[in-house]
Amino acid sequence: MDFYLGLAQVIGIHTLLGLSAWCVLHTGQVSLAQGGFFAIGAYAAGMLTSMWGWPLAAALATGALMAAAVAVAVGFPALRVKGLMLVVATTAFAEIVRLFFFNLQWRVQTPAGPVGPDGSLGFGGIRYFPSNGWTTLQVCILIWVLVAAVMFMLWWLDRSRVGTVWRAVGEDELAAQSAGINLTAAKVSAFGIGGGIAGLAGGVFAHYATHIEHSNFSILLATFAIAYPIIGGLSSLAGTLLAVIFIQGFLTEGLRFIGDWRSLLFGVLIVVVMLVRPSGFLNRSLGRSLGLGRATATPQTGDATRGASTHA
Amino acid sequence: MDLLNLIDLAQSLIDGVLFGTTYSLIGIGFTLIFGVMHKINMSYAAASIGAAYLSLMLVSLVPAPVVYAGAALIGGVLGWLIYLICFRFLPINNPLATLMSTVGMLLAIEELISHLTLGMPQNYPALFSSTNIEIGQFFLRGDLIFVFMLGCVAMVALTLLLKRTRLGLATRAVAQQPVAAQLCGMDVNATNAGTFVIAGLMGGTAGAMAGAAIGVLSPLMTLPLTVKGLVVTVIGGLGSIPGAIVAGLIVGGAENLFQFMRGVSERDIYVMLMLFAFLVLRPGGLFAAPGGRD
Repeated sequence: MDFYLGLAQVIGIHTLLGLSAWCVLHTGQVSLAQGGFFAIGAYAAGMLTSMWGWPLAAALATGALMAAAVAVAVGFPALRVKGLMLVVATTAFAEIVRLFFFNLQWRVQTPAGPVGPDGSLGFGGIRYFPSNGWTTLQVCILIWVLVAAVMFMLWWLDRSRVGTVWRAVGEDELAAQSAGINLTAAKVSAFGIGGGIAGLAGGVFAHYATHIEHSNFSILLATFAIAYPIIGGLSSLAGTLLAVIFIQGFLTEGLRFIGDWRSLLFGVLIVVVMLVRPSGFLNRSLGRSLGLGRATATPQTGDATRGASTHA
Repeated sequence: MDLLNLIDLAQSLIDGVLFGTTYSLIGIGFTLIFGVMHKINMSYAAASIGAAYLSLMLVSLVPAPVVYAGAALIGGVLGWLIYLICFRFLPINNPLATLMSTVGMLLAIEELISHLTLGMPQNYPALFSSTNIEIGQFFLRGDLIFVFMLGCVAMVALTLLLKRTRLGLATRAVAQQPVAAQLCGMDVNATNAGTFVIAGLMGGTAGAMAGAAIGVLSPLMTLPLTVKGLVVTVIGGLGSIPGAIVAGLIVGGAENLFQFMRGVSERDIYVMLMLFAFLVLRPGGLFAAPGGRD
């Protein structure tokens, strides 16, 4: 039973990460910075509870807000460029964050001995859950309540004016700008909200893992983050959840018997999905017949213009 | 003491610039493919390292120079295979699809390398590694000089190929205007495939150069080389070959300089900050018209 609860926790955390990338992808931007925001949230929330004894909710909220603030601050210069340049810029940002934590050394004395980030040795002793007597089930419920809350918020945002603006920018920037939409505001808000969600996911991850280190937050994590929504399909939130369940539940855990070769399968799977279903597993027509997603413009036009704007 | 420091500083700058030709070649590969297809091939640097790995099978059979040539040729074949798998049959107007397929390929290549070699670094043959040229206070490492020369030869060969052959003409035509090139009777798919082969040849050479300069090949080299190659491409200006060459040398030199001043664990922070400075102040890159925001 504990095994399945642990798996459910991992799936929940990765779903939050995938949803954070979904926000940014929704405005037509490809960001590999989600791993960086995840790291900021993880270190900030972990440090607040373990070093200064903050309550969990306040620490998670502060971690998410810090990640969102950094996302907005980075978003203004980074979102001046798009397409390939944005991929490189966000990769660079994620590497800066990772190397910053790789070099960060800040230990404080607590009743349980010194804790804090210890450079390349990582940051251990984030023992909020064990020392407050949380069971695995309780942690699992907490994670899925957060997932549900974030999904509801995004679902609601998607139906509101903000979602309409995001989608308009994602489908065709030029048309959106001509209609009087402020492109910078739309992109930076999506970047900020996505960063906040990634920070929240990071904070949960730090407490779930109790030990974090810089290598947890490599480009590979950011690749996973954008792979979930892209493989699942961008037209609905359920696609991201499905992709996470498939990759974490089936590919990583279900195929454990074939050993280390399954990490090879992840790469091959992405290639195969892109060949067979380039607009994601749960694309618009399938999503509509299942009653998910919206019945708006066709994906082809959006993709075509997105392509054109990347070429410009 | 100050003078000695200054000499060390200049020495690390020189070493870095010499190694920078590797970054230049990887940057050229990214830029070439972006030029003709307006697509990014994330698996390029991984395939380059993969080509160097495959050329290791030749080591016991032939002398070292042939191994390098073999790496280049294998790189070309891998480039063609990647074109076939990750680009040829994907919708051309969906940039996310090819981005993800090449990222998947990058991860697959990296995993394949670490599985087949059991994660052990492999020795790579170097030429002139025992010769050191002494100029005044400075040492020039023989293997680095060799790598530098090899990089220059590859760049000259590429320029000749692009400027003097029909394939080069077709490549440049497709890069400028794919539709017009097609109307003139050029086979755009064949030209794209040819460009991938050319880029692969450069990549294989770069992989062999990295192996020769560092002395070993390791699967851990693929991601840093990918990131540095992308940084070089952006600093040089997308689609600009001279830009990629200059930016490669700059990144190589700056990297070693930062390493000398701040240590190996902080070095890449400053390289990335340099990239950010370029993105903010000159988003079009070194060799593009200023103000090219898009």
